[in-house]
Parts: sequence; C-alpha cells; structure tokens
Amino acid sequence: MQEIALKGFGEVVKTVTFRVKRYSPENADMPRYMEYKVPVQRGMTILDGILYIKEHLDHSLSARYSCRMGICGSCGMIINGKEKLACQTQILELGKDLIKVDPMGNYEIVKDLVPDLSKLFRNHQKVKPYVLREEESPTSEYLQTPEQREEYAMFTDCILCGMCLSACPTNAADELYLGPQALAQGFRYISDNRDLGFEERLNVLDSKHGVWRCHFSGACSEVCPKGVDPALGIQLLRQLLTENIFVKHKQKGTTRGPERKSASGVS
Amino acid sequence: MTIENKKGWISWFNPFKYGTDRWMYALHRLTGIVLGVYLMFHVVETSRILEGAVTWNSLMVWLDYPFGPHFGPLILSAVLLAAVYHALNGLRLTIVENGLMLPKPYRPEYPYKPRSLRGLNNFLKIFLGFFMIAISAVGIIYIFTGAIL
Repeated sequence: MQEIALKGFGEVVKTVTFRVKRYSPENADMPRYMEYKVPVQRGMTILDGILYIKEHLDHSLSARYSCRMGICGSCGMIINGKEKLACQTQILELGKDLIKVDPMGNYEIVKDLVPDLSKLFRNHQKVKPYVLREEESPTSEYLQTPEQREEYAMFTDCILCGMCLSACPTNAADELYLGPQALAQGFRYISDNRDLGFEERLNVLDSKHGVWRCHFSGACSEVCPKGVDPALGIQLLRQLLTENIFVKHKQKGTTRGPERKSASGVS
Repeated sequence: MTIENKKGWISWFNPFKYGTDRWMYALHRLTGIVLGVYLMFHVVETSRILEGAVTWNSLMVWLDYPFGPHFGPLILSAVLLAAVYHALNGLRLTIVENGLMLPKPYRPEYPYKPRSLRGLNNFLKIFLGFFMIAISAVGIIYIFTGAIL
C-alpha cells in the first residue's frame, strides 16, 4: 500500500494501526473490528485518521463530524477505552501504535462509529431546557446580575456530544436513567434566577430514574470535552431538592418521571 | 436493524481510564456485593447453632481452617476490609452527594479538570483513607492474634 500524505500537515512521523469497530445494519453481521494502517503526520487528529481511511482505504467507513474544532460535539467516540472527541485528540499525543476506536456506548448504533443520540435529546427535552415563566407574553426584559449568571454559567457550555451518557456506569445498566447531561441542564435552568419552573421540573428530576439514581462515579465529568462538570451539577441539584423537600409536587404539565410514585402510591 | 450498544452492569467494574472516583465507585459496588454474599452465608452459618454444641464447635473449627491453615482468618480479613471501605466511602458519598464539601459552579478553564472530583472531595478521600488503614490494621491484628491494641 502506498502511503499518501495529507496536505497541510508535516512529514509522516510513523504509521499507526487503527482498529475500528465496524457494524452495518444493512448486513445483519455482528459488529467486528477491522484494522487499517494510517501514516501519521504531525498535527493529525483521530478524525483526520478516520477521514484518511475513508478517503484512501475503505470508503464504507462511517463517522459523524461537522466542525472539526470541538464545538459541534458530533464526533464523540471511544478512543483507546475512553470517550473523546475525535477532532480534539491528537494521534501522536496518545503515544500508541495501536488505536482502538469504538462507537460511544449505551446508544444504539446507526452504522460503524455513528451512534443514535435520540435518547440524549429525548432526556434533554424532558427537563424542559428553557426558561419557564408564568406569563405568556413578557412586557419587559428579565433582569440578571453577573453574579446570578455565574451560578449556572458553566453548564451552558454543554455541546450535547453525549459522551457523559456513554461513560456513565449507571446509564449502562438503567435504560430509563435521565443521564448526567439532562440532570446538569435541569440544574442549569433551576438555578437561573429568571426561571420559575422548579416545581414543574420536579416530576422528572425527583423520580426513580432521575437525580437520585446517580452514584457519583465522576466519569461524566472526567470525559466532558468542555469541562462542564455534570457530576457537580447533579450533586448541587440534589442539595437543592433536599433543601426544598417540602415543596409540593404540582404534577403540572405532561412530562412525568418514568414510574414515579408519589407519597400516596399513585403514579 | 440497529443494535443496542449497551455497556451493561459489567462495565461497573471497568474503571480504567477514568479518575479516582470511578475506581472508588467500582470498589464500592464490589464490596457491596461481597458484603451481601457474606451476610447470607453468615446467617446460614450462625443458624447452625440450633443443631447443638457439637455441630457448632465442629463448624467453628472448620471455618478456621476451611481450605488450609489461616484461610478462615484471611476470608474474615477480606470481609473486614470490604466492610470498612464500604462504610467509610458510604460516609463520603453521603456528604458529597448532598452537595456538601463541593465547589460552587465555576468557569471551566483548559485543561478542564473537574473540581467536583478534586479539592475537598480529595481531602475527604485521604482523611477517611487514614481511618480505613487504622481500623483495618486493628481489626486484622485482632483476627489473627486475638489482641486489641
């Protein structure tokens, strides 16, 4: 095989082996690993490596990407056993000659390295990720001081890459668990001083598969590519719920926590 | 046909590549299972006392040397370690899972190091770790020699 150097990068430093998990739903085959030899140039990321494979070695390989700069959160995958954004991981920085690339766990696979993120978006939607107010048409701006903004600002950095759900051991065993992303976003909106939807979100957050299901393994925060620290958000949310333990559940709206039972035993 | 790529409960025991908290989570699960299994055997074992003194005494002797010398005390030491770890880590989790000893929301800065897994949480781990070593040492000495310091 002739090595083709990519334009815009330096000299070829070495050749590494990509062991990529392949799965195609069209052929009912079981997932299998395939190996590709990729010449690595200085500055090449895992995504560049995958695109090299797609361009020169195997056109049928599928991966999802968009911005190539860690903003869109499309290219999350498991690289050498840990969730990482392919576009932000330098091949040479890994320091390995064999790079194992798997699709993110705990999601259905669409094809090869493309996970189906509908579960992530569904859970995100459940916590009502927008400012909830009583009035339908506001007459003026909702005011907020810089200090009030700091109370939730870090959680606004979430890019919905879904890597926290892949790393979370609770999510690995509980299909209905809301997941670190949704819970952290729940905290983000509840701690926003303009938002009045605390009681409305309680049904979902304070449920059997909600905030109490987290056992603080911290894996979500370890893998977050934007440093959002969802584990912190979840624990602070728990603190908030404990402090407001006597707040009456209004059971308002249609969103309900799965199999949630109230004190009277009626779901 | 899409396939579910679930990692499953087996991934609880795969803390590699993640941080200390992930290791402690795996150990907490493992020690919980160990203690649960021990508790069941313990109930069965102690219920044998109903069968009289001879059975009880022979059981006690067998438990001291089940598969060879010192094997009984070794099992007991392992259970003690599991119990001490599970209890002290449980204490730490009770504190941090209620949002105590954790930082306030902060602005993430590159290279992103989650502060919830560091700082006072780390202090708690070290502090309770010392307790764990001390309690385990006293317990294991007692199991093997019958002497309390």
